[in-house]
Amino acid sequence: MDVKYKTYTFHVTGTHCASCKILIEDILKEQDKIKNVQVDLKKETVLIEADSNQDPKELAQILTDKIKSNGYTLSVDKKTQEKINDNTIWQAIPIGLIFLVLFFILQKSGILNLGMGGKTTPLTSFIIGLIASVSSCLAIVGGLVLSLSAKVSQDEVNDKKNFTLFHIGRLASFALLGGVLGAVGQTIGINFTFSAMLGIAASIIMLLLGLNLTGVFSRNRITLPTGIFNFFRKIEHKTLTPIIIGFGTFFLPCGFTQSMQIVALSSGSFISGFMIMFSFALGTLPMLALLSFGSASFAHGKHASLFFKSVGVVVIGLGIFALLAGLAGLGIINPLFNI
Amino acid sequence: MKIFNGINKTASIIVTFGLIITLIIIFTGKSNPESAQNVEIRNGIQYITINARGGYFPNVSSAKAGVPTKLIMKTGGTYDCSASLVINSVGFKKILPQTGETEIDLGKPEAEKPIQGVCGMGMYNFLINFI
Repeated sequence: MDVKYKTYTFHVTGTHCASCKILIEDILKEQDKIKNVQVDLKKETVLIEADSNQDPKELAQILTDKIKSNGYTLSVDKKTQEKINDNTIWQAIPIGLIFLVLFFILQKSGILNLGMGGKTTPLTSFIIGLIASVSSCLAIVGGLVLSLSAKVSQDEVNDKKNFTLFHIGRLASFALLGGVLGAVGQTIGINFTFSAMLGIAASIIMLLLGLNLTGVFSRNRITLPTGIFNFFRKIEHKTLTPIIIGFGTFFLPCGFTQSMQIVALSSGSFISGFMIMFSFALGTLPMLALLSFGSASFAHGKHASLFFKSVGVVVIGLGIFALLAGLAGLGIINPLFNI
Repeated sequence: MKIFNGINKTASIIVTFGLIITLIIIFTGKSNPESAQNVEIRNGIQYITINARGGYFPNVSSAKAGVPTKLIMKTGGTYDCSASLVINSVGFKKILPQTGETEIDLGKPEAEKPIQGVCGMGMYNFLINFI
Protein backbone atom coordinates (compact mmCIF):
# COMPACT_ATOMS: atom_id res chain seq x y z
CA MET A 1 0.00 0.00 0.00
CA ASP A 2 1.39 3.37 -0.80
CA VAL A 3 0.88 6.11 1.68
CA LYS A 4 -1.79 8.61 0.94
CA TYR A 5 -0.70 12.20 1.30
CA LYS A 6 -3.17 14.75 2.28
CA THR A 7 -2.87 18.37 1.27
CA TYR A 8 -3.57 21.16 3.71
CA THR A 9 -3.63 24.86 3.10
CA PHE A 10 -3.00 27.17 6.05
CA HIS A 11 -2.85 30.90 6.38
CA VAL A 12 0.39 32.21 7.78
CA THR A 13 1.12 35.45 9.62
CA GLY A 14 4.41 37.10 10.42
CA THR A 15 6.05 36.64 7.04
CA HIS A 16 7.69 40.03 6.92
CA CYS A 17 10.59 39.13 4.68
CA ALA A 18 11.44 37.18 1.60
CA SER A 19 13.71 34.91 3.58
CA CYS A 20 10.81 33.86 5.83
CA LYS A 21 9.76 31.48 3.07
CA ILE A 22 13.03 29.58 3.31
CA LEU A 23 12.98 29.48 7.10
CA ILE A 24 9.41 28.20 7.38
CA GLU A 25 9.97 25.61 4.69
CA ASP A 26 13.19 24.44 6.32
CA ILE A 27 11.65 24.05 9.75
CA LEU A 28 8.46 22.39 8.65
CA LYS A 29 10.19 19.97 6.30
CA GLU A 30 12.10 18.61 9.26
CA GLN A 31 8.89 17.51 10.95
CA ASP A 32 7.73 13.91 10.80
CA LYS A 33 5.10 12.99 8.31
CA ILE A 34 5.52 16.20 6.37
CA LYS A 35 6.34 15.49 2.81
CA ASN A 36 6.25 18.84 1.14
CA VAL A 37 5.92 22.45 2.21
CA GLN A 38 5.33 25.40 -0.02
CA VAL A 39 5.04 28.95 1.24
CA ASP A 40 3.30 31.51 -0.90
CA LEU A 41 4.37 34.91 0.40
CA LYS A 42 2.00 36.86 -1.78
CA LYS A 43 -1.10 35.02 -0.64
CA GLU A 44 0.38 34.42 2.82
CA THR A 45 -0.48 30.76 2.65
CA VAL A 46 1.39 27.52 3.33
CA LEU A 47 0.63 24.44 1.31
CA ILE A 48 1.50 21.27 3.19
CA GLU A 49 1.47 17.69 2.00
CA ALA A 50 1.41 15.41 5.00
CA ASP A 51 0.98 11.75 5.74
CA SER A 52 -1.54 12.32 8.43
CA ASN A 53 -5.20 12.15 9.12
CA GLN A 54 -5.16 14.89 11.64
CA ASP A 55 -7.76 17.51 11.90
CA PRO A 56 -6.44 20.61 10.05
CA LYS A 57 -6.91 22.73 13.14
CA GLU A 58 -4.86 20.35 15.27
CA LEU A 59 -2.12 20.14 12.69
CA ALA A 60 -2.01 23.91 12.39
CA GLN A 61 -1.56 24.13 16.14
CA ILE A 62 1.22 21.51 16.21
CA LEU A 63 3.10 23.20 13.39
CA THR A 64 2.60 26.66 14.84
CA ASP A 65 4.37 25.47 17.98
CA LYS A 66 7.43 24.69 15.86
CA ILE A 67 7.64 28.11 14.22
CA LYS A 68 6.08 30.30 16.87
CA SER A 69 9.46 31.21 18.33
CA ASN A 70 10.37 32.72 14.97
CA GLY A 71 7.26 34.85 14.96
CA TYR A 72 5.03 32.90 12.59
CA THR A 73 1.62 31.38 13.17
CA LEU A 74 -0.43 29.06 11.02
CA SER A 75 -4.20 29.05 11.04
CA VAL A 76 -7.02 27.47 9.13
CA ASP A 77 -8.98 30.67 8.86
CA LYS A 78 -7.46 33.81 7.52
CA LYS A 79 -6.75 36.19 10.34
CA THR A 80 -7.69 39.74 9.54
CA GLN A 81 -4.54 41.75 9.64
CA GLU A 82 -4.39 43.91 12.69
CA LYS A 83 -5.23 47.44 11.69
CA ILE A 84 -2.97 49.04 14.28
CA ASN A 85 0.01 47.65 12.45
CA ASP A 86 -0.56 50.06 9.62
CA ASN A 87 -0.56 52.99 11.94
CA THR A 88 2.64 52.26 13.84
CA ILE A 89 4.64 53.70 10.96
CA TRP A 90 3.06 57.09 11.67
CA GLN A 91 4.32 56.88 15.21
CA ALA A 92 7.67 55.48 14.16
CA ILE A 93 8.54 58.29 11.71
CA PRO A 94 8.40 61.12 14.29
CA ILE A 95 10.10 58.97 16.95
CA GLY A 96 12.92 58.08 14.58
CA LEU A 97 13.27 61.69 13.44
CA ILE A 98 13.47 62.94 17.04
CA PHE A 99 16.45 60.64 17.62
CA LEU A 100 18.08 61.87 14.42
CA VAL A 101 17.55 65.53 15.37
CA LEU A 102 19.01 64.95 18.86
CA PHE A 103 21.97 63.09 17.39
CA PHE A 104 22.85 65.79 14.89
CA ILE A 105 22.33 68.61 17.43
CA LEU A 106 24.83 66.78 19.65
CA GLN A 107 27.31 66.67 16.76
CA LYS A 108 26.77 70.30 15.84
CA SER A 109 27.06 71.51 19.44
CA GLY A 110 30.77 70.79 19.46
CA ILE A 111 30.78 69.43 23.01
CA LEU A 112 32.36 66.25 21.67
CA ASN A 113 35.39 68.12 20.39
CA LEU A 114 37.30 68.25 23.61
CA GLY A 115 40.95 67.93 22.86
CA MET A 116 43.22 65.39 24.46
CA GLY A 117 46.68 66.66 24.92
CA GLY A 118 49.81 64.81 25.87
CA LYS A 119 50.68 61.19 25.39
CA THR A 120 47.99 58.69 24.54
CA THR A 121 47.74 56.18 27.34
CA PRO A 122 45.28 53.29 27.65
CA LEU A 123 43.20 55.54 29.90
CA THR A 124 42.99 58.37 27.37
CA SER A 125 42.23 55.79 24.65
CA PHE A 126 39.35 54.55 26.76
CA ILE A 127 37.97 58.10 27.13
CA ILE A 128 38.43 58.72 23.41
CA GLY A 129 36.50 55.49 22.84
CA LEU A 130 33.66 56.78 25.00
CA ILE A 131 33.55 60.03 23.00
CA ALA A 132 33.86 58.22 19.68
CA SER A 133 30.90 56.01 20.53
CA VAL A 134 28.55 59.01 20.57
CA SER A 135 30.30 60.99 17.84
CA SER A 136 29.51 60.98 14.16
CA CYS A 137 31.19 57.56 14.03
CA LEU A 138 28.00 56.37 15.64
CA ALA A 139 26.28 57.20 12.39
CA ILE A 140 28.15 54.47 10.61
CA VAL A 141 29.34 51.95 13.22
CA GLY A 142 26.35 52.40 15.53
CA GLY A 143 23.91 52.55 12.65
CA LEU A 144 25.27 49.30 11.29
CA VAL A 145 25.19 47.63 14.71
CA LEU A 146 21.67 48.87 15.36
CA SER A 147 20.28 47.78 12.01
CA LEU A 148 21.93 44.36 12.10
CA SER A 149 20.87 43.82 15.72
CA ALA A 150 17.28 44.76 15.05
CA LYS A 151 17.21 42.52 11.99
CA VAL A 152 18.75 39.59 13.86
CA SER A 153 16.32 40.09 16.75
CA GLN A 154 13.45 40.20 14.30
CA ASP A 155 14.50 37.04 12.51
CA GLU A 156 15.55 34.69 15.26
CA VAL A 157 15.62 33.95 18.94
CA ASN A 158 19.26 33.50 19.73
CA ASP A 159 20.16 37.15 19.28
CA LYS A 160 21.93 37.62 22.62
CA LYS A 161 24.50 34.96 21.78
CA ASN A 162 25.19 36.63 18.44
CA PHE A 163 25.60 40.06 20.03
CA THR A 164 27.98 38.71 22.64
CA LEU A 165 30.04 37.08 19.90
CA PHE A 166 30.03 40.34 17.95
CA HIS A 167 31.36 42.35 20.90
CA ILE A 168 33.96 39.72 21.79
CA GLY A 169 35.05 39.57 18.15
CA ARG A 170 35.26 43.35 18.04
CA LEU A 171 37.29 43.71 21.25
CA ALA A 172 39.61 40.84 20.32
CA SER A 173 40.27 42.04 16.78
CA PHE A 174 40.84 45.65 17.85
CA ALA A 175 43.34 44.46 20.45
CA LEU A 176 45.11 42.03 18.12
CA LEU A 177 45.21 44.36 15.11
CA GLY A 178 46.37 47.17 17.41
CA GLY A 179 49.15 44.89 18.59
CA VAL A 180 50.11 44.05 15.02
CA LEU A 181 50.17 47.76 14.11
CA GLY A 182 52.40 48.43 17.11
CA ALA A 183 54.77 45.60 16.24
CA VAL A 184 54.99 46.28 12.51
CA GLY A 185 55.35 50.03 12.91
CA GLN A 186 55.13 52.54 10.12
CA THR A 187 55.32 50.09 7.26
CA ILE A 188 51.65 49.47 6.63
CA GLY A 189 49.48 52.38 5.71
CA ILE A 190 45.77 52.25 6.30
CA ASN A 191 44.18 52.59 2.93
CA PHE A 192 41.80 55.55 2.75
CA THR A 193 39.96 54.42 -0.34
CA PHE A 194 39.43 50.89 0.97
CA SER A 195 38.03 52.23 4.20
CA ALA A 196 35.80 54.71 2.38
CA MET A 197 34.43 51.98 0.08
CA LEU A 198 33.70 49.82 3.10
CA GLY A 199 31.86 52.76 4.63
CA ILE A 200 29.75 53.16 1.51
CA ALA A 201 28.96 49.44 1.53
CA ALA A 202 27.95 49.74 5.20
CA SER A 203 25.68 52.69 4.48
CA ILE A 204 23.97 50.79 1.66
CA ILE A 205 23.41 47.83 4.00
CA MET A 206 21.94 50.28 6.53
CA LEU A 207 19.59 51.73 3.93
CA LEU A 208 18.38 48.30 2.82
CA LEU A 209 17.93 46.99 6.36
CA GLY A 210 16.27 50.25 7.35
CA LEU A 211 13.73 50.01 4.54
CA ASN A 212 13.15 46.37 5.44
CA LEU A 213 12.64 47.20 9.13
CA THR A 214 10.12 49.95 8.44
CA GLY A 215 8.14 47.35 6.56
CA VAL A 216 7.37 49.56 3.58
CA PHE A 217 8.33 46.74 1.29
CA SER A 218 6.18 44.06 2.83
CA ARG A 219 3.24 46.40 3.01
CA ASN A 220 3.25 46.84 -0.72
CA ARG A 221 3.91 43.13 -1.06
CA ILE A 222 7.13 43.82 -2.85
CA THR A 223 9.76 41.55 -1.46
CA LEU A 224 12.85 43.33 -2.61
CA PRO A 225 15.74 42.56 -2.88
CA THR A 226 15.35 38.87 -2.31
CA GLY A 227 18.90 37.83 -3.05
CA ILE A 228 20.49 39.99 -0.37
CA PHE A 229 18.07 38.92 2.33
CA ASN A 230 18.41 35.26 1.40
CA PHE A 231 22.15 35.65 1.76
CA PHE A 232 21.68 37.44 5.05
CA ARG A 233 19.40 34.66 6.31
CA LYS A 234 21.91 32.02 5.41
CA ILE A 235 24.82 33.69 7.17
CA GLU A 236 23.14 35.07 10.26
CA HIS A 237 23.01 31.63 11.87
CA LYS A 238 26.71 30.98 11.50
CA THR A 239 28.76 31.44 14.66
CA LEU A 240 31.58 33.09 12.75
CA THR A 241 29.45 35.81 11.14
CA PRO A 242 29.11 38.13 14.18
CA ILE A 243 32.82 37.71 14.95
CA ILE A 244 33.76 38.63 11.38
CA ILE A 245 31.49 41.68 11.46
CA GLY A 246 33.11 42.69 14.76
CA PHE A 247 36.48 42.32 13.06
CA GLY A 248 35.27 44.36 10.08
CA THR A 249 34.36 47.37 12.24
CA PHE A 250 38.10 47.95 12.67
CA PHE A 251 38.27 49.05 9.05
CA LEU A 252 35.10 51.13 8.92
CA PRO A 253 35.76 54.81 8.32
CA CYS A 254 35.72 56.60 11.65
CA GLY A 255 38.13 59.43 12.34
CA PHE A 256 38.62 58.31 15.93
CA THR A 257 39.40 54.71 14.99
CA GLN A 258 41.83 55.88 12.32
CA SER A 259 43.57 58.26 14.73
CA MET A 260 43.91 55.50 17.30
CA GLN A 261 45.31 53.19 14.64
CA ILE A 262 48.01 55.77 13.98
CA VAL A 263 48.71 56.04 17.69
CA ALA A 264 48.97 52.25 17.91
CA LEU A 265 51.19 52.25 14.85
CA SER A 266 53.66 54.67 16.36
CA SER A 267 53.48 53.13 19.83
CA GLY A 268 56.46 50.93 19.05
CA SER A 269 55.53 47.57 20.50
CA PHE A 270 52.92 44.85 20.25
CA ILE A 271 51.83 45.26 23.87
CA SER A 272 51.39 49.04 23.74
CA GLY A 273 49.48 48.89 20.43
CA PHE A 274 47.39 46.06 21.84
CA MET A 275 46.54 48.02 25.00
CA ILE A 276 45.71 51.24 23.14
CA MET A 277 43.32 49.64 20.66
CA PHE A 278 41.81 47.37 23.31
CA SER A 279 41.09 50.30 25.65
CA PHE A 280 39.66 52.27 22.75
CA ALA A 281 37.30 49.43 21.79
CA LEU A 282 36.39 48.99 25.45
CA GLY A 283 35.42 52.65 25.57
CA THR A 284 33.07 52.22 22.64
CA LEU A 285 31.55 49.08 24.16
CA PRO A 286 28.93 50.61 26.51
CA MET A 287 27.15 52.49 23.72
CA LEU A 288 27.34 49.66 21.19
CA ALA A 289 26.25 47.09 23.79
CA LEU A 290 23.32 49.31 24.66
CA LEU A 291 22.33 49.46 21.00
CA SER A 292 22.51 45.71 20.42
CA PHE A 293 21.17 44.34 23.69
CA GLY A 294 18.70 47.19 23.89
CA SER A 295 17.24 46.16 20.58
CA ALA A 296 17.03 42.55 21.78
CA SER A 297 14.94 43.52 24.79
CA PHE A 298 12.70 45.84 22.77
CA ALA A 299 12.32 43.23 20.07
CA HIS A 300 10.79 40.78 22.49
CA GLY A 301 8.70 43.42 24.21
CA LYS A 302 5.19 44.68 23.69
CA HIS A 303 6.08 47.48 21.33
CA ALA A 304 8.29 45.40 19.05
CA SER A 305 6.60 46.52 15.85
CA LEU A 306 6.92 50.20 16.77
CA PHE A 307 10.52 49.63 17.80
CA PHE A 308 11.52 47.98 14.50
CA LYS A 309 9.89 50.72 12.47
CA SER A 310 11.48 53.52 14.53
CA VAL A 311 14.87 51.84 14.21
CA GLY A 312 14.20 51.58 10.48
CA VAL A 313 13.63 55.36 10.27
CA VAL A 314 16.75 56.15 12.33
CA VAL A 315 18.89 53.76 10.30
CA ILE A 316 17.65 55.15 6.97
CA GLY A 317 18.53 58.66 8.17
CA LEU A 318 22.00 57.64 9.33
CA GLY A 319 22.49 55.61 6.15
CA ILE A 320 21.74 58.62 3.94
CA PHE A 321 24.08 60.76 6.04
CA ALA A 322 26.89 58.20 5.91
CA LEU A 323 26.42 57.61 2.19
CA LEU A 324 26.51 61.31 1.25
CA ALA A 325 29.46 61.94 3.55
CA GLY A 326 31.28 58.89 2.22
CA LEU A 327 30.80 59.95 -1.39
CA ALA A 328 32.09 63.42 -0.50
CA GLY A 329 35.09 61.84 1.24
CA LEU A 330 35.92 59.95 -1.92
CA GLY A 331 35.58 63.15 -3.94
CA ILE A 332 32.70 61.75 -6.00
CA ILE A 333 30.26 64.48 -4.96
CA ASN A 334 30.80 67.89 -3.43
CA PRO A 335 30.41 67.98 0.34
CA LEU A 336 26.81 68.91 1.04
CA PHE A 337 27.21 69.72 4.70
CA ASN A 338 29.70 70.54 7.39
CA ILE A 339 28.52 69.06 10.61
CA MET B 1 -1.97 52.02 21.05
CA LYS B 2 -5.47 51.67 19.75
CA ILE B 3 -6.03 55.36 20.50
CA PHE B 4 -3.82 56.04 17.56
CA ASN B 5 -6.39 56.89 14.93
CA GLY B 6 -6.81 59.21 11.99
CA ILE B 7 -6.53 62.45 13.96
CA ASN B 8 -3.21 61.43 15.42
CA LYS B 9 -2.01 60.49 11.98
CA THR B 10 -2.47 64.09 10.89
CA ALA B 11 -0.68 65.27 14.02
CA SER B 12 2.12 62.86 13.27
CA ILE B 13 2.51 64.20 9.75
CA ILE B 14 2.73 67.77 11.11
CA VAL B 15 5.34 66.73 13.70
CA THR B 16 7.25 64.88 10.98
CA PHE B 17 7.38 68.00 8.82
CA GLY B 18 8.58 70.06 11.77
CA LEU B 19 11.34 67.58 12.49
CA ILE B 20 12.43 67.40 8.86
CA ILE B 21 12.67 71.21 8.76
CA THR B 22 14.75 71.10 11.97
CA LEU B 23 17.10 68.59 10.32
CA ILE B 24 17.42 70.80 7.24
CA ILE B 25 18.28 73.78 9.46
CA ILE B 26 20.90 71.73 11.31
CA PHE B 27 22.48 70.61 8.07
CA THR B 28 22.46 73.87 6.16
CA GLY B 29 23.16 76.16 9.11
CA LYS B 30 26.54 77.82 8.84
CA SER B 31 28.96 77.42 11.69
CA ASN B 32 30.28 80.82 12.85
CA PRO B 33 32.35 82.10 9.97
CA GLU B 34 35.69 82.80 11.58
CA SER B 35 37.45 85.37 9.46
CA ALA B 36 40.79 85.03 11.16
CA GLN B 37 43.93 86.32 9.50
CA ASN B 38 45.21 82.95 8.41
CA VAL B 39 47.15 83.89 5.30
CA GLU B 40 50.60 85.43 5.35
CA ILE B 41 53.47 85.75 2.91
CA ARG B 42 56.97 85.08 4.20
CA ASN B 43 60.05 85.02 1.93
CA GLY B 44 57.88 84.89 -1.16
CA ILE B 45 55.91 81.89 0.03
CA GLN B 46 52.27 82.15 0.94
CA TYR B 47 51.30 80.25 4.09
CA ILE B 48 47.68 79.37 4.86
CA THR B 49 47.01 78.07 8.34
CA ILE B 50 43.96 75.95 9.13
CA ASN B 51 43.14 74.45 12.50
CA ALA B 52 41.79 70.94 12.50
CA ARG B 53 39.79 69.75 15.44
CA GLY B 54 36.10 68.97 15.36
CA GLY B 55 36.05 70.49 11.89
CA TYR B 56 38.29 72.91 10.03
CA PHE B 57 38.70 76.54 11.04
CA PRO B 58 38.45 78.88 9.32
CA ASN B 59 36.06 77.08 7.08
CA VAL B 60 36.55 79.37 4.10
CA SER B 61 39.82 81.18 3.41
CA SER B 62 40.91 83.34 0.57
CA ALA B 63 44.45 83.70 -0.68
CA LYS B 64 46.40 85.06 -3.62
CA ALA B 65 46.65 83.07 -6.80
CA GLY B 66 49.91 82.50 -8.68
CA VAL B 67 52.11 82.54 -5.59
CA PRO B 68 53.96 79.46 -4.27
CA THR B 69 51.64 78.36 -1.49
CA LYS B 70 51.90 76.06 1.47
CA LEU B 71 49.07 74.91 3.65
CA ILE B 72 49.75 74.40 7.33
CA MET B 73 47.35 72.09 9.11
CA LYS B 74 47.45 72.62 12.86
CA THR B 75 46.24 69.87 15.13
CA GLY B 76 45.99 69.91 18.90
CA GLY B 77 44.71 66.78 20.58
CA THR B 78 42.77 66.00 17.44
CA TYR B 79 41.35 62.49 17.36
CA ASP B 80 38.17 63.05 15.38
CA CYS B 81 37.58 62.82 11.68
CA SER B 82 39.27 66.13 10.93
CA ALA B 83 42.59 64.38 11.57
CA SER B 84 42.14 62.19 8.51
CA LEU B 85 42.52 64.71 5.76
CA VAL B 86 41.88 64.30 2.06
CA ILE B 87 42.70 67.05 -0.44
CA ASN B 88 41.90 65.47 -3.77
CA SER B 89 43.18 68.25 -6.03
CA VAL B 90 46.75 67.83 -4.75
CA GLY B 91 46.44 64.11 -4.06
CA PHE B 92 46.88 64.46 -0.31
CA LYS B 93 45.49 61.62 1.84
CA LYS B 94 46.93 61.33 5.28
CA ILE B 95 46.11 61.07 8.92
CA LEU B 96 47.49 64.13 10.65
CA PRO B 97 49.45 63.71 13.88
CA GLN B 98 47.36 64.17 17.02
CA THR B 99 49.24 67.33 17.89
CA GLY B 100 51.51 69.25 15.58
CA GLU B 101 51.73 71.05 12.28
CA THR B 102 51.67 69.46 8.87
CA GLU B 103 52.92 71.37 5.85
CA ILE B 104 51.28 70.61 2.53
CA ASP B 105 52.63 72.03 -0.69
CA LEU B 106 49.88 73.46 -2.86
CA GLY B 107 52.17 74.57 -5.68
CA LYS B 108 51.16 77.78 -7.45
CA PRO B 109 47.37 77.75 -7.23
CA GLU B 110 45.52 79.21 -10.18
CA ALA B 111 42.83 81.84 -9.78
CA GLU B 112 39.22 80.69 -9.69
CA LYS B 113 40.32 77.16 -8.82
CA PRO B 114 39.41 76.74 -5.17
CA ILE B 115 41.03 73.95 -3.21
CA GLN B 116 38.79 71.83 -1.07
CA GLY B 117 39.75 69.56 1.79
CA VAL B 118 37.46 66.97 3.36
CA CYS B 119 37.91 64.62 6.25
CA GLY B 120 38.03 60.90 5.53
CA MET B 121 34.40 60.30 6.44
CA GLY B 122 33.32 63.39 4.57
CA MET B 123 31.39 65.32 7.17
CA TYR B 124 33.89 68.13 7.68
CA ASN B 125 35.33 70.23 4.88
CA PHE B 126 37.10 73.48 4.17
CA LEU B 127 37.55 75.64 1.12
CA ILE B 128 40.37 77.94 0.05
CA ASN B 129 39.56 80.45 -2.68
CA PHE B 130 42.33 81.91 -4.80
CA ILE B 131 41.94 85.36 -6.25
